[in-house]
Amino acid sequence: MIRTEHLTKQYGKLEALTDLNLEIEQGKVFGFIGPNGAGKSTTMLILATLLAPTSGKAYVAGYDVEKEPKAVRQSLGYMPDFFGVYDNLKATEYLDFYASAYNIPAAKRKSLIADLLELVNLSNKADAYVDSLSRGMKQRLGLARCLVHSPDVLILDEPASGLDPRARIEMREILKQLRSMGKTILISSHILPELAELCDQIGVIEKGRLIACGDVDEVSVGTRGISVMQLKVLSRQEQAEAILSQSPYVRRLDNKSSHFRFHFTGTEEDKAELLSRLIAEGIPVVHFGDSNENLEDVFLAITEGVGN
Amino acid sequence: MGAFFTNPLIVKEMRERFRSKKSIWILALYLLVMGALLFGYLYLEQMNSLSVPGEEREVFVVMAVVQYAMFCFVAPALSAGTISGERERQTLNILLTTQLSPFKIVTSKLVTSLAYIFLLVVASVPLYSLLFLYGGISPSQLLTMVVFFAVNILFFGSLGLFCSTWIRRTGVSTIIAYGLAFFFVVGTGIIVLFLAQLIEEISPPGVHPFDYLGMQILCSLNPVFVMFSILGVDPGDDLRLFMDPWLFFVIACCFLSAVLVIWSGYLLKPVRRSWLGWKKR
Repeated sequence: MIRTEHLTKQYGKLEALTDLNLEIEQGKVFGFIGPNGAGKSTTMLILATLLAPTSGKAYVAGYDVEKEPKAVRQSLGYMPDFFGVYDNLKATEYLDFYASAYNIPAAKRKSLIADLLELVNLSNKADAYVDSLSRGMKQRLGLARCLVHSPDVLILDEPASGLDPRARIEMREILKQLRSMGKTILISSHILPELAELCDQIGVIEKGRLIACGDVDEVSVGTRGISVMQLKVLSRQEQAEAILSQSPYVRRLDNKSSHFRFHFTGTEEDKAELLSRLIAEGIPVVHFGDSNENLEDVFLAITEGVGN
Repeated sequence: MGAFFTNPLIVKEMRERFRSKKSIWILALYLLVMGALLFGYLYLEQMNSLSVPGEEREVFVVMAVVQYAMFCFVAPALSAGTISGERERQTLNILLTTQLSPFKIVTSKLVTSLAYIFLLVVASVPLYSLLFLYGGISPSQLLTMVVFFAVNILFFGSLGLFCSTWIRRTGVSTIIAYGLAFFFVVGTGIIVLFLAQLIEEISPPGVHPFDYLGMQILCSLNPVFVMFSILGVDPGDDLRLFMDPWLFFVIACCFLSAVLVIWSGYLLKPVRRSWLGWKKR
């Protein structure tokens, strides 16, 4: 559904994107991870037909973004990282404007807008001025706006940025719904744990280069043999910390009282051995396992040394 | 006409503009200034001399000049923030990913800006009706004047729109639009006067500055000369032009406006094709 071939973008001498090759299949949710300036937004702008690549090709829904921009725009819904809204419009009028801009017939718009507002849980704000909505509501309205023409592909640049935890959860639930509707979603986020639960695949981008790409587990473990693990103990934290510190496979040990988080570079057997040692020492272990929520650590592990 | 009312951008802009209190205040202020000037002038005139209805053209001239000055002030200001405002509100990129073409976006923006200025003109009609009591102006002169105002509004609107597309910040775009409008109104006049003086000094006796085609064109491009020629106020005994100045002015303004609008549409394209291939943005 989304494909890039040797996509490169240069701003003068600065190479914002280097030889990016991506392939996202229909119905998949692809998470784009990377620090600011890594090239995520540049990739999304190219896919949204708002920026021309210096070289390479990009396709959305089978259409070439450079040669068939009109068809690409009809196939995708794009939500930029920062976007404004028209303050003097009501939520329904705002959506009506965009529906009209996508040539949706006037007769269909009313029911379509009602459905969209329901999808993003804003039915009770239909007649509210956009200006009066909270940031989270505006983001959800922005998401509804992306869906007015029922695109197959959604490109969402930091959709959860600046939202409070509740608004983030609401946004995540809506995205899950969209995934179940079979939409292909390319999403970037700084709030990485959100992506772990939501995405089928992730791509880690740093300094314009895709340095890891694949399933979430595959990327975290496969690329450098690093997994992020968690250990929770009932007591004897000092001893547990000492055992972990002594292990040659443990790195970046983070101790939050009884809750440890660390990078583990060993094999599955090494993990079992570490657990056995903790038990043998009489440490009351409550939880020992892979951390499936902390993509930040995965990201840090993968990108370690890339800048150098 | 149907397309006008179904154009999403025009509908949205109209909604936004007429919900804003600013629009009502601008309209009220405009009528207040125009009315105050008209009634003030009439009051002073009556104090100094006996006015003879049907023979007073001066009032119309004053009103026309004041209204023209108002257009010069309002038209660039209204259009100079149309595209840059979208950019500053961070709504432009979203707009460009819809099925609205850049050309449709700029023309819709221009239409809505101009529609508001025309509303100012229509709202000031009752004030003009007072002038008919004093007469001195033929219907054809009035009609020509309306056409002259219309093309000026179109040109200033297009100029503001172009600046708004070209320059990212509304503040800078407005200043540049005012600067270019000032040059168009005052600058061209000063150049004409300066060149006329210069040609007269360096040319042999018998050669008139306005014998040169370039001077005729330059003079016909100056709205002040053109307006006075429409009003029948002689700008100078020696002024000779190769065709009706107002007609030339109308053609030139329409042409320049078309160029500015097309250029704005080109500048707004997110990915522009240059003669040498793809131009990167």
